[in-house]
Amino acid sequence: MVKGADEQTQMQEKKQGQGLLLFSVFVIATCGLIYELVAGTMASYLLGDSVTQFSTVIGVYLFSMGIGSWLSGQVEGDLLKWFIRIEILVGLVGGCSAPSMFLLFEHVTYFRIVLYSFVVLTGILVGLEIPILMRILKSGIEFKDLVARVFTFDYIGALLASLIFPLLLVPYLGLIRTSLVFGIFNIAVAAYLLYYFEETMRYRRRLLVPVLLSVVALLAGFVYAERIMSYSETLAFQDKVIYSKSTHYQRMVLTRNNRELKLFLNGNLQFSSLDEYRYHEALVHPGLHALKGSKKVLVLGGGDGLAVREVLRYPDVASVTLVDLDPAMTQLFRSNEMLLQLNKRSLLSPKVRVVNDDAFNWVRQDTTRFDFIIIDFPDPSNYSLGKLYSSKFYEELRHVLSDSGIIVVQATSPLIARKSFWCVGHTMQAAGFVTVPYHIYVPSFGEWGYIMAMRNYGWHPGADLPTGLKFIDRNVMKSMLLFPPDMSEVTTEVNKLNNQALVNYFEDEWAPYVH
Amino acid sequence: MKQVLALVGVSFAGRYLAGCADVGRDRPIQGGIVGSGSSIGHMIRDGKAFPPPSQEVRTGILIIGGGISGLSAARWLQKKGAENVIMVEMGDETGGNSIFGQNKVSAYPWAAHYLPIPDVANTTLIEFLTEIGVITGFTDGVPAYNEYHLCHDPEERLYIDGYWQEGLIPKFGITREDEAQIARFMKQAEDHRSAKGNDGKFAFCIPLDASSADEEYRKLDRISFRQFLNDNGYTSKPLLWYLEYCCKDDYGSGLDSTSAWAGMHYFASRRGKATNASSSAVLTWPEGNGYLMSALRKHNTYPVRTGLAAFSVANTDTGVSVDCYDGGKKSTVRIVADKVLLCTPQHVNKYLLKQVNAERSIYDKVHYAPWVVANVTCDGVPEGKGTALCWDNVVYGRQSVGYVFANHQNLVRKNEGVLTWYLPFTEGSPKDARKAIYNKTIEDWKKLVLEDLAYAHPGIEAFVTRIDVKVWGHGMIQPVPGYVWGADRTEAMRAIDGRIFFAHSDLSGISIFEEAFSQGIRAAEEMLAG
Repeated sequence: MVKGADEQTQMQEKKQGQGLLLFSVFVIATCGLIYELVAGTMASYLLGDSVTQFSTVIGVYLFSMGIGSWLSGQVEGDLLKWFIRIEILVGLVGGCSAPSMFLLFEHVTYFRIVLYSFVVLTGILVGLEIPILMRILKSGIEFKDLVARVFTFDYIGALLASLIFPLLLVPYLGLIRTSLVFGIFNIAVAAYLLYYFEETMRYRRRLLVPVLLSVVALLAGFVYAERIMSYSETLAFQDKVIYSKSTHYQRMVLTRNNRELKLFLNGNLQFSSLDEYRYHEALVHPGLHALKGSKKVLVLGGGDGLAVREVLRYPDVASVTLVDLDPAMTQLFRSNEMLLQLNKRSLLSPKVRVVNDDAFNWVRQDTTRFDFIIIDFPDPSNYSLGKLYSSKFYEELRHVLSDSGIIVVQATSPLIARKSFWCVGHTMQAAGFVTVPYHIYVPSFGEWGYIMAMRNYGWHPGADLPTGLKFIDRNVMKSMLLFPPDMSEVTTEVNKLNNQALVNYFEDEWAPYVH
Repeated sequence: MKQVLALVGVSFAGRYLAGCADVGRDRPIQGGIVGSGSSIGHMIRDGKAFPPPSQEVRTGILIIGGGISGLSAARWLQKKGAENVIMVEMGDETGGNSIFGQNKVSAYPWAAHYLPIPDVANTTLIEFLTEIGVITGFTDGVPAYNEYHLCHDPEERLYIDGYWQEGLIPKFGITREDEAQIARFMKQAEDHRSAKGNDGKFAFCIPLDASSADEEYRKLDRISFRQFLNDNGYTSKPLLWYLEYCCKDDYGSGLDSTSAWAGMHYFASRRGKATNASSSAVLTWPEGNGYLMSALRKHNTYPVRTGLAAFSVANTDTGVSVDCYDGGKKSTVRIVADKVLLCTPQHVNKYLLKQVNAERSIYDKVHYAPWVVANVTCDGVPEGKGTALCWDNVVYGRQSVGYVFANHQNLVRKNEGVLTWYLPFTEGSPKDARKAIYNKTIEDWKKLVLEDLAYAHPGIEAFVTRIDVKVWGHGMIQPVPGYVWGADRTEAMRAIDGRIFFAHSDLSGISIFEEAFSQGIRAAEEMLAG
């Protein structure tokens, strides 16, 4: 009687143990698919072209699972212990995958290597799980039942994952937190098995340490997720936010959709990869092509390297000095492969020297004489930017401009901000320059204006332009000088340090376009 | 480029977004109470025994006190070729109310922080500003000012009803009647600005001793500013607040402790002109008037002994003998001079001149306002709703007179800054206030400063990295009714025996750079003449 009761309890315990293990199949299957979906989504966010990205990520992931399954054949010894170890590892690697990829995106040149390393590693670990689990379970169950049950739970988990991922997880948790949460689930499985099975007694303590450490790490990641990517911010942009960072000076956000990449600084569009060539060709070529001989070029602002890309089309440019306030900006455009493709690695050219300093200070201290100065600052939307459009600043520029040199300034929209545009021109005139205002159309920005300035009138367009331009040619350079009546010159004050007239114009003129 | 206008506003908000984890940080706020030079002063006051002189020095002219009046006198003596001049200063450095500090974020003032562009009639000041490059040229006699030194826009904002408005005269939530009274007062001030007395002089001038002697105007000195405003039917609360703020800011006194003449002087004495700025323009620098003070200091080649506190002046047969205590060496130096110029405030002279048999009725007449100045270093800049951060930022209805953003003149765009926060003690007895403020610890001040700043900038403490505080026990002479045009003041400027001379802004009655500067020149001239 007594013996029989014992056997019965043992049987029951065994059954319970099996139920628990089958439930873990369900959890790990869900987690496994989530990691795959995270990687696929991540790849299409960061690299664009979702069909290719998803297809290759799924392929590599499944193949890696195959490797994992094969490797499981090599695993001998205490299988439960192995399984718990693998769970911890899967939780850690899978859980960290999304935050790590977002963090590494700005630092690594070849992002694909990072991406596929994560995919392969997670795939292998996930591939190890089911075969080992089946070997643990095989003792108390017939093979046909075993296969039927394990795969049933596996596929139910997969269905659940594929439904909740797009419907609940991405919209409410975001990618980073999703990845972290499922990492914690994996580790929870490990912890529960460790707690439930008596046979883990011997190594329970030893494994408890990594379990706890991993959970703490993932929870910490959860807390810091907002820092890596502000969830509320992702809702503020039309396109997918693929990178965002608050630097000491500004908030940088990169977004992408199927067609284009956009950079926002403090919420203001800096460029769209679709039409930035119009803006940058018009900024650089009208002035630069008209200068003869070897040239020294200074770029103030423009840390994206796109203006420098245009400058480097001229073989007789001897040197380019780029002064941009924000080291994070120039670093990003010197290291990220996708952005390097856009600026044609311009900031890595041996001709280019990058200085991270405030332009006003730098200009006051420098003694070089430049032949061409490009001023590509953000619009004068606040007082500290307004100083960089002041007569005093332009007077300081005289000291670093060669006698026959040319300055070009991006000067906001002459259509929307007519007074602001002409105020920039009048301020340069007050600083003793002769000016040539011109404008073009950039779809992302609308009508956009520039002011060219020089000591004495000496702009003779029409010499050879570099080959390969998509926008600027002789005819465009003629038409850009014509201002229709709705953009024609208006009288304005001169923008000085002690009146900041430009900021006031700019605020008034752009106000109707905010909200 | 960029289609959407930046929502200029809260630079702090970006930080909230970026680093929520940072906000609740427990980073302690650094800082301390700086250079309280009052200990030797109190020894002198309390008649403590100093060691007998262990060294004797002989000189032609001794200047006691290295504030603006002393530095200005030294400059003038030097210009006129005087030799054998030395200066002693009790504190660690010369500079008086124009001293400044500097950290890696910015330079910042410890007290005086601006100079309104002067009247062209103030030729000595105009000449000085030209010498040091603050004035860059003249067109038909009108100066052009260095644009780096003219206060950059935006200049001033006022926090009222939860909103930062542009300018300091209240505009929001005020009634028609308020508006009318403000306009009427401004018109009256404008009239006084161009008014001349029966002697043909302007009614209100800087330096104030150049003002008309016409009783019509001088009689205003006998009543308080409050009385004057009351007599003229000014009852508007926002107007009275604004006028009191002005008195506090410039004189360290309230409407009751400011004479009507001095109150009106604030509004009616500025007749500055510039080719490139309006008549109300001010000159300022990150280090405040430390810029002007440093120029004076640099000009001076006479030997300067800092950390040497004169404690006794005696008029002897061989000259004026001045005993000075060196707190570092704990020894006394006797300096015997042909002539001595006391550029020290009258509450100090009272003790210095104990040995000198001279009737000086001034001592009972002087009242000094205590001030506390805090320099608050932030790793963010406080914006808020409405007008963007300005140079001068004032909060309606507070005891403090707000803060100046020291980085305002810095051209570098930084998301960090130093706020110089000012708190004058204008209510009650200055003596009690002094006692109370000397007893406060740095932690008390930190709390007080943060509470005051948080009124307009909730959550600011998360961005404050440092608070340094300076306590000015006798910060400013108050132009109390009867002081400026009372007989005691003019009497106190007169030299004793043609050997002991006096210069200090408290001998003008208003504590501004221009007065101290011109006091120094007047005294130097007297010494050279005698």
